[in-house]
Amino acid sequence: MTKSKFKQFVDFLLRNNFVIAPQFNVEGVLHLNELKDSADLYLGSQLPLDSWKWYIAPPYQQMFEYKGDKMQETLTKIKSQIFLGVSILDMQALTLLNQVFERDPYYQEIKKKTIVIGTSLVPEENFYQFFENFEENKLEHLQFDIFLAVQKTGYKIYSGSEDGQRLLDKFGYKDYQHIEYAGPIREEGLDKQMVEVMDGMQNYHDQKIWDGLNERCIQCGKCTIACPVCFCFRMYDQANLEKDTGARNRCWDTCFYNEFTQVAGAAPAAPKYRLMNTTAQKIYFWYEHHFVRTPATFSLPGCVGCGRCSRTCPANIDIFTTIKDILAARTKGQAKNKK
Amino acid sequence: MINEYKTYPCKILKIEPEGVDSKNFTLTPPYKGFSFTPGQYVMVSIPGFGEGAISISSDMNEKKFFQLTVREVGTLTSEMHKKKKGDTLGIRGPYGRPFPIKAAKGKNILIVVGGCGIPPIRPLILDATKNPNKYKKVYVFYGAKNEDVLFFTKEYPKWKKVCDLNIALENPKTKKYQKGMVTSLFDVKKIPTDAIAYVCGPPIMYKFVIAKMIDQGLKPENIFMSLERHMDCAQGVCQHCAIGPYYVCKDGPVFSYAELMNFKSWLSPI
Repeated sequence: MTKSKFKQFVDFLLRNNFVIAPQFNVEGVLHLNELKDSADLYLGSQLPLDSWKWYIAPPYQQMFEYKGDKMQETLTKIKSQIFLGVSILDMQALTLLNQVFERDPYYQEIKKKTIVIGTSLVPEENFYQFFENFEENKLEHLQFDIFLAVQKTGYKIYSGSEDGQRLLDKFGYKDYQHIEYAGPIREEGLDKQMVEVMDGMQNYHDQKIWDGLNERCIQCGKCTIACPVCFCFRMYDQANLEKDTGARNRCWDTCFYNEFTQVAGAAPAAPKYRLMNTTAQKIYFWYEHHFVRTPATFSLPGCVGCGRCSRTCPANIDIFTTIKDILAARTKGQAKNKK
Repeated sequence: MINEYKTYPCKILKIEPEGVDSKNFTLTPPYKGFSFTPGQYVMVSIPGFGEGAISISSDMNEKKFFQLTVREVGTLTSEMHKKKKGDTLGIRGPYGRPFPIKAAKGKNILIVVGGCGIPPIRPLILDATKNPNKYKKVYVFYGAKNEDVLFFTKEYPKWKKVCDLNIALENPKTKKYQKGMVTSLFDVKKIPTDAIAYVCGPPIMYKFVIAKMIDQGLKPENIFMSLERHMDCAQGVCQHCAIGPYYVCKDGPVFSYAELMNFKSWLSPI
């Protein structure tokens, strides 16, 4: 697809759809917003500060409404949406979220109405080695509807679902190739880097790394908001002004907050009801989620290497440095074991 | 698509006090075919006050009702305590991996409980009283603060027929029970080393109890512990209950010590 044809395709999408795409705001920060003019679309290797989870696993969702003791499932009308310009790293994140929420009716309702148009663009600095070079055979392990492989003069087009095919057919573009989703796990087995970091965390624990982070992290939780694969949520009931009515909702949660592991009592209750109390414990838990728990549960990396957490961290904690430290502790530990 | 967050109304058939600060709720089953295994829990919901994970404390062979024994500690449990006979509670579940009871058939069993850790274990004891020949010998070590917070006292004569029931109280008011922590019972009773142990109590208890058990020659793979964590989804998604690679809500709440001993984070993260 030539660049001019692609512009026509974007205009075609904008005519009847709610399209979300990366755009620079007035302050020059790349954000995800509704695209109204194809000229505002940014398709490049820079990643937007927001991740797509804002639109597929939104920060706040009503789950039930109640009146007295009766609870009624909330059926919100979901608007169809198109994600345009999803980096291959973020596609990996969406593929993981699809796995995590495969039995979640609220997520699936939104997913059903979402078309994902990915691109092969990745930021220059990312440590997720698997996507350093784009190759066609990597596509069959990602979930998408349409994919734009960047070439010198335009894009090579792939479809990844029937919805994607229908959309391209409707636009009148036939020169695409279909890729059938083959599940998230690749033929060559588990991601090498993922296995190494997991082994490092589980078997070569280096307390110095966490004590160091304990000094620097301010427990603000910005990394959990920025991360495309941080999906923790909290469920809570919100009463209406009218007596005995209200709703059961869920919203994003952050493992850095004190209430996260609190088993009983009001929010500021004594630490005896909490399992995590120090910053080191909390940040370790965050790394454990991404580098131990997610790989153990889904055989997929729990970090796509987008670096959003490092960009937003007010204390300048760099995930790439921490990963290097974990791997270094592993190498050191292995050498010691050999002796 | 099935919404697994949906709760089912259960009518309260009976409320009995257990100790001074706890109550035993007898409820109708949430749906037809509801059954559970000792160690499993349900999510209890009261609209406006949220949900909480509560272990089932009744006999698993009983099909007409099930019971929850709850101490008043937080927002939801205080609201539960205000409920009266005939009111309803929202229930979803049962969830979680139960105590492995089949493996214990014909073997010696050691049950160690502290404080309100006894309700999740009670189904096991009731099962043993109903089937006296199922297990070789059942030892129960029960530790509590004082006589006021002992649960299920009326049932002790029945329990004693099949169990070797030993109680230690931290600050006893009478001379009826031994004074001390639950660990002091290990100095009085010798436990066969081939016993399968089931433990439930406050986090601090595990550290000392497990040390005693290992000391007496019990194997880590034969020690099973039920853990308590904050849970929201009960399906291994929301992350609140996670320990190392496990989710207490779906991989637990019962774990063998062998599964957890290598993770620094099972008692507190690091």
